[in-house]
Amino acid sequence: MDGADEELMLAYRDGDARAFEALYGRHRVRLYRFVLRSVKERGLAEELYQDVWMRVIEARRRYAPKARFTTWLYSIAHNRLVDHWRRKGLSLVDVDSAEVEGNNPDPQRQVQARQDLQRFASALEALPPAQREAFLMHEEAGMSVEEIAGATGMAVEAAKSRLRYAVAKLRKAVDDG
Amino acid sequence: MADERDPQVSRRYRGLGAQEPPRALDEAILAASRRATDAPPAPLVPPAGRRRWYFPLAAAAVIMLSVAVTWHMQMEERPDPESAMLMRAPHPAQELGREEKQADESRRDAAARPKRELPPAAPAARDAAPAGRALEAPSASMLAKQLAEEPPEKVLERIAELRRLGRHEEADRMLEAFRMRYPEYKLPDSVLKK
Repeated sequence: MDGADEELMLAYRDGDARAFEALYGRHRVRLYRFVLRSVKERGLAEELYQDVWMRVIEARRRYAPKARFTTWLYSIAHNRLVDHWRRKGLSLVDVDSAEVEGNNPDPQRQVQARQDLQRFASALEALPPAQREAFLMHEEAGMSVEEIAGATGMAVEAAKSRLRYAVAKLRKAVDDG
Repeated sequence: MADERDPQVSRRYRGLGAQEPPRALDEAILAASRRATDAPPAPLVPPAGRRRWYFPLAAAAVIMLSVAVTWHMQMEERPDPESAMLMRAPHPAQELGREEKQADESRRDAAARPKRELPPAAPAARDAAPAGRALEAPSASMLAKQLAEEPPEKVLERIAELRRLGRHEEADRMLEAFRMRYPEYKLPDSVLKK
């Protein structure tokens, strides 16, 4: 089903269930990773991820395209996650299960690549929650600084600053490898 | 769109993997989305369990209460037969012929007025108005009360009656109060002429 996200959401609001399926298909992977990399447990991530979509479903009657659908979706996710960021650490993917360096047959390089990823994962985990959130929104959802500011309720300058700090710290983790 | 991406950071981030939500989770969310489009809008207070019987009962209670209050108000407005008789009874100090003449004049005036200005009053009110309470000199609080309780047509009848009796001071006072309450109301000559 074609159409902009906002059109699909309006169609769903008006009772077209297929429009939601199309919308869900577009955003499921990125939103899932955003949530998964923001909380400690996979089970909790799945629960929160489902909850975010349930809120979208519940809010459909009130939906009005004031901003990009992505901004609206991630603002819902932000609101749902913000308490977890305050209380808990970050759940990163299981680095051991990640596909490393295109199945390089050299065992030494594989170990090195796994260490690099682990260092990067640790750096991401060590970011302050607001910086990590800004980075994940930018990287996963492709949101601009303005959109991140809109979704999280912070000033544009603050969003820009947080994103820059996050990228700088992660860049250091990459360089250290 | 300002892009703050660092290609090397992005590449390393992508290396963390491309996890997807479990299929069962997808199915659960999509099923919920379909159910939502099938379901009618939720009531403001959804009835559940034992509270289901509450709603018809509450609706019936509200209707009965409304009927009772309306009936009570109508009964209060209608004078009981005994007091109506008292109001119609001739005052000892007044001559019978004079009173009848006043009543006739009042009825003639009412009939002569254009209908959109003054719709005819109910028969009971028409009988009761001229002779009794209408001729009492009202205090300021009584005036306010009369204006609040009585329809404007009836108040105008009282003012006209006072004019006919030459009690212009009282008529002016009542007219002033009337104008404050009903500034848009078109006044007939019978209440203005002295």
